[in-house]
Amino acid sequence: MNQLAQKIAPLSAPAVDLVVEIQQVLYREARLLDAERYDEWVEMLAPDLHYFMPNMETRYRADKSNIIADLKRAAYFNDNREDMLKRLDRLKTGTAWSEDPATRFTHLIGNVEVELTETESEYRVYSAFLLCRGRNESDEDIQVGKRKDLWRRTPDGLKLVQRTIHLNQNTLLSKNLNAFL
Amino acid sequence: MKMERIGPPRDYNSLMNLEEGWVSRDVFFDPAIYEAEMRQIFARVWLFVAHESQVPKPGDFVTTYMGEDGVIVARQKDMSVNVFLNSCPHRGNKVCHADGGNARRFVCNYHGWAFDTAGKLMGMNEERCYDPGDIDKSEWGMKSVAKVATFKGLIFATFDPTAPSLEDYLGDYRWYLDCMLDSDDGGSELIGGTMKFVIPMNWKMAAENFIGDAYHAAWSHDSGAKAMTGGMAFPELDLHNTFHASANGHGHEFGMDGFGDIMLLGRPKVTEYFMQVLKPRIEARLGKLRSTIFGSIASATVFPNVSYLPGISTFRTWLPKGPDKTEVRTWTIVNRNMPDEIKDELTKGVMQTFGPSGTFEMDDGENWENSCSTNKGFVTRQGRLHYRCGISRKDDHPELPGIIYRGQFGDSNQRAFHRRWLDLMTAESWNDVPDRQGNRLKGRETRDLHNGLRSL
Repeated sequence: MNQLAQKIAPLSAPAVDLVVEIQQVLYREARLLDAERYDEWVEMLAPDLHYFMPNMETRYRADKSNIIADLKRAAYFNDNREDMLKRLDRLKTGTAWSEDPATRFTHLIGNVEVELTETESEYRVYSAFLLCRGRNESDEDIQVGKRKDLWRRTPDGLKLVQRTIHLNQNTLLSKNLNAFL
Repeated sequence: MKMERIGPPRDYNSLMNLEEGWVSRDVFFDPAIYEAEMRQIFARVWLFVAHESQVPKPGDFVTTYMGEDGVIVARQKDMSVNVFLNSCPHRGNKVCHADGGNARRFVCNYHGWAFDTAGKLMGMNEERCYDPGDIDKSEWGMKSVAKVATFKGLIFATFDPTAPSLEDYLGDYRWYLDCMLDSDDGGSELIGGTMKFVIPMNWKMAAENFIGDAYHAAWSHDSGAKAMTGGMAFPELDLHNTFHASANGHGHEFGMDGFGDIMLLGRPKVTEYFMQVLKPRIEARLGKLRSTIFGSIASATVFPNVSYLPGISTFRTWLPKGPDKTEVRTWTIVNRNMPDEIKDELTKGVMQTFGPSGTFEMDDGENWENSCSTNKGFVTRQGRLHYRCGISRKDDHPELPGIIYRGQFGDSNQRAFHRRWLDLMTAESWNDVPDRQGNRLKGRETRDLHNGLRSL
């Protein structure tokens, strides 16, 4: 059983308004990422962000080493907020040649599930994503996976504190991953 | 059996003239050339299959490929390593579907043929179906490679029993490999987890980039360098005190600035550790020359398909998956004795620069793909590619082993790569493969040759 699918019993069911509010935040985040509006996206990230997308590996069921959760191993992302800003700096240099012409991104977000946590202002949020990228003449890349987030309510709105991203692909069937998920 | 052939055999010599400095685009495109590479190169040379740290305990295994042949690399009870084809000799089914793990045996899903960790056939489901005399189990294991050998932590294998020893195959290039593999008495290890991604390109495009192409860095990677260093671009070109070194088709291009690649990681703790702790250690262990080479702007390839950046610490293999497809497998290589915090910082630094989402890697893949894909055009691929840069800068360096050219911004190592390729494509046996300045240090522990050739 992978870590993202583990069911933690919610303390109590979240109110419908809260579920709708968080869904809208996830959709807005997806729209900002689609449009490469990264400066606005960064505003949605908490100062103590941990953004983690581990490397996937195929192992037999009997293998209980749980390597996917190991923060010391190889990863696509294992970033704090400062690390994330460095990546975004590359796009501002004007010389990130492989980003010009621009990629056409669509982030489809679904299966949104909200849970209350022991901290009143923080919510556990599960979702699934479908990332579609179109580039240049005929490039098309599709990645599917799941996310497990922690969002925090602040005076400036909901902020992403933790995100763990699991990709379905073991070998990334693309030349790169020039996207945030 | 005589092989049917349509038309005359291919004249590989017509595909390049390395004295004039050009290579045919066909070598990056032609499916028939690719098929011949599988036979002439990947079925004969020593290929990297794993690092010892990936299989530390008996039963530990990883799966990988030698050419397009899937293999299992498994640690035995006696701590030796066996490498054998990941294919059941009964009907050919793939036996192991995991990237790695620990196993007591490997069992085929199809008919339950079971093999020990050395690939030997132990038995099968409903063995009574076989009458006495039907099968000699000692003959029907998973096929082993011809030879397995290690060099300072790296495990290599070859399918060719007539291949030279691994030490002779690596030759004088061992002196350069020491900068990464023998810079500390604890040796090296790979951080856990194999990053795997696919670039639609010919495998040679990436291998020849890493062997010598410092030239692309300042242009291709301007954005990555600025992002990681807070706005600094690459240092000024130095065509005098920077070098291309190659031996037997393996090559390392490097500056002598001492810290250019280290800075690109953008991790101050790593910079401090390298400059304060590791460099003095390398100087004592390998000599001042190699402590200066380490950490400078540099890149390297071990022929045919292993590449690395000493200092930056990305280590990878380019697995051929057809003439226009390459699977990249990458790791972070560290010294076993480094503090955990430094290992962790290096892992993150490599991820952010040379992972599939890295600020440097992303600009490379797109260039390599499109440098190959244009050759689909019939007229386009009749053209030649230019490999003459720095062709007159050959240097008889008193210390540096191998074939030396001055100026890391040039095509010299790339020409050496293609020359070795041509040697192997045209050689019927290893006796026909010429020495390319590969064995002046033969029989010597390269670690102790602090002043290179001058130490002889």
